[in-house]
Amino acid sequence: MGIRIALAGNPNCGKTTLFNALTGSNQFVGNWPGVTVEYKEGKYKGDKEVTIVDLPGIYSLSPYTLEEVVSRNYLIDEKPNAIINVIDGTNLERNLYLTTQVVELGIPVVIAINMMDVVEKNGDKINTKRLAEEIGVPVFEISALKNRGLKEIVDAGVKAAKEAKPQSPKHRFDGSVEHALAHIEELCLHNVSDENVQRWYSIKLFERDEKIQEKLGLSSDVISHIEQDIQSCEKEMDDDSESIITGERYNYIGTIIDGCVKKAAKGMTISDKIDQVVTNRFLALPIFAIVMWLVYYISVTTVGGWATDWANDGVFGDGWHLFAIGSSDYADAADEFAANQLIVDGYDVYVEENGTEPTGDFDYPVEDEETLEVSYETASLEDYEAAKAYVESTEEPDPADYGIWIPGVPVFVESALDAINCNDVVKSLVLDGIVAGVGAVLGFVPQILILFIFLAFLESCGYMARVAFIMDRIFRKFGLSGKSFIPMLIGTGCGIPGIMASRTIENDRDRKMTIMTTTFIPCGAKLPFIAMVAGAIFGGASWVAPSAYFLGIFAIIVSGIMLKKTKLFAGDPAPFVMELPAYHWPTVGNVLRSMWERGWSFIKKAGTIILLSTIVIWFLTFFGFVDGAFTMLEEDQIDHSILAMLGKCLAWIFIPLGFGDWEATVASITGLVAKENIVGTLGIIYGASGDVYATMAQAFTAASGFAFLAFNLLCAPCFAAMGAIKREMNNTKWFWTAIGYQCGFAWIIGLIVYQVGKVFTGEGFTFGTIFGIAAICALLYGLFRKDKYNK
Amino acid sequence: MMPLVVAPVGEEQMIKRIGGNEEAKRHLQELGFVPGGYITVVNEIGGNLIVNVKESRVAVDKQLAQKIFV
Repeated sequence: MGIRIALAGNPNCGKTTLFNALTGSNQFVGNWPGVTVEYKEGKYKGDKEVTIVDLPGIYSLSPYTLEEVVSRNYLIDEKPNAIINVIDGTNLERNLYLTTQVVELGIPVVIAINMMDVVEKNGDKINTKRLAEEIGVPVFEISALKNRGLKEIVDAGVKAAKEAKPQSPKHRFDGSVEHALAHIEELCLHNVSDENVQRWYSIKLFERDEKIQEKLGLSSDVISHIEQDIQSCEKEMDDDSESIITGERYNYIGTIIDGCVKKAAKGMTISDKIDQVVTNRFLALPIFAIVMWLVYYISVTTVGGWATDWANDGVFGDGWHLFAIGSSDYADAADEFAANQLIVDGYDVYVEENGTEPTGDFDYPVEDEETLEVSYETASLEDYEAAKAYVESTEEPDPADYGIWIPGVPVFVESALDAINCNDVVKSLVLDGIVAGVGAVLGFVPQILILFIFLAFLESCGYMARVAFIMDRIFRKFGLSGKSFIPMLIGTGCGIPGIMASRTIENDRDRKMTIMTTTFIPCGAKLPFIAMVAGAIFGGASWVAPSAYFLGIFAIIVSGIMLKKTKLFAGDPAPFVMELPAYHWPTVGNVLRSMWERGWSFIKKAGTIILLSTIVIWFLTFFGFVDGAFTMLEEDQIDHSILAMLGKCLAWIFIPLGFGDWEATVASITGLVAKENIVGTLGIIYGASGDVYATMAQAFTAASGFAFLAFNLLCAPCFAAMGAIKREMNNTKWFWTAIGYQCGFAWIIGLIVYQVGKVFTGEGFTFGTIFGIAAICALLYGLFRKDKYNK
Repeated sequence: MMPLVVAPVGEEQMIKRIGGNEEAKRHLQELGFVPGGYITVVNEIGGNLIVNVKESRVAVDKQLAQKIFV
């Protein structure tokens, strides 16, 4: 027979560390049904018959937070065979508050006093034997971090579970409270089958717990009867019933603690000293800025950048050199060869175009790989001769000659498919659809993992809680939490880990708001697109790229203020109270595990929703009607594709934004797979006539070009990020609300940019300008209207 | 009796009363803010406080700190 043991305890009491130490890799991580609260279950390493359930960290069993509801429902309804109540030994008094409630549930309980290593280091003494007698529950000293006492605690839990002796609390409340409780029990609890829980129910009814009233199906008659008991007690004690119970619990804890705990003389702890610096009024922000810069610099710019390049260009590109040995030599050789080749090709083009050989200097085009920008370089005839000699004398460098060359997945898959003489359609599906689409997403995995390591570290060492405190004042103003800063910062690299980082925000409303607005910040994949628009339409103006970031920040602030006033986010802003855990050095294992849990859920997403959507887009892009026959298309026939037809049908949506043609529409749709695809698609569409940038410059005016940019930066993110939104929202309605809001907001901003922009770019005041101004007014109304849902 | 916001930093105070709405009050009590208990302000940034209460360190914003009387 299997035994289920639940771990219950305060946040930051080391419960998760204990859980990881007990279960190792035998874990199942999911969500509690219907909520975003994490659910963790695992088999005990020492005995596979024992299942350990990690309940969310809670301060009490009242029904006011999601975590509390989830935990207590599990304890009452699922009835685990035993509970291990994990207690932070450095903070007995507060932690025992939950204990006084847990022992009322009638389930066998054993207490694990965790962090004993720290307690001993502080020189404190806990008399566990006496504590056990006082509470009436076996008490064990453990240190999850140092692997101390773990076997003993589980053995005790298993023993308690096997004995199945119902726990009954030893503590009693004040006479008048007990009197009321007895009345309540007599009145409505005699038919509760499990009499061990009766006391708990009666206390909850005394506290006017509506969820319990509902659960027991009490008639309004009985409730009003109970109300009399409660009120007379409240009158006697001159306080409300909940405060009475809380006070009584703390009084009781006070009496047992005095006899059981000896504190060493208190000096400043290390945590106190760190906090004096880190949360100092003057130093807090500079330190915060440095930490964030470090995280950003390492995980987005340097190490993360290399990792992404490796994954995108190596694993999901042509291939890579093992340990990068030979890479730079090869790159130098390849660059030199390519540069010479360009001159030779340029010479040939010149001959072809002019019919004669150039007699002096001639220009040749150089195309930027990422942004497709074409610039012209000038070469002299000597340059040509030298280049020709070089190209003829040397062979094109082969990467395999410079180190151990490992071909990328697409190369490998292509040769494998060729080897089995695969059908062209299947080959295209696999290479252009699945490998290209999923690869684009998986290419970000290494970077994401690096980011998650930092996040896990900042979280488990205790700094993240301080970040929330430091930034809260600023973010609170537009409906976000202090912790929203981190998702947004990460979002500049990639929106997916950014959205996933919103998990650290406890408050539901703040979290949803953060999820909805994080992807407004331009991510790494949008950069080539921004550069393309800047280069093609604005002649490489340097203000375009910064303006994209300002637009993102503007969108976040405006959305925050507007959404805060809507019904969706109605309700009083949650007061900011949070525990700041003591600083400690996290274990490598825990950091890696946390990184992997988040990373893995991202990879799974890429395997399901993203895979499906990329296949659909592939089909739409590569199939269509040519001369009336439905057929598979070549890459440059995209204008015949179903996608192009779809683009023509949908283009009218963008007429008010100034780019109502199918080309821009199709590019926006392919941007849903990955934002850098916009560049590739425009390259194919506009590239047919030669110079992509010149064609694009003709297709857009300054106003419509910036509207196009603004719309694509703000509208629904790529499928992968949408998947992340879906997962973090964990609610279909909220998911569509978020996507709908983003697209709607993007459209309105695009409208304003185009219609009002036209006036300033010399196209004068038109009929459409009125709509642009109306949209501005609508935004202003949204920003400044009275907030009727909040006080 | 004075609200916690104006209490001097670094001195231990006894909590006399906790006001405010039910929800906030309840949460404060769960975290150990109970009348009769002791509290020390550790740090202050723009009215937001970090306090020590029942051996743990808790951050509270200005609005809430105004409702805790010592």
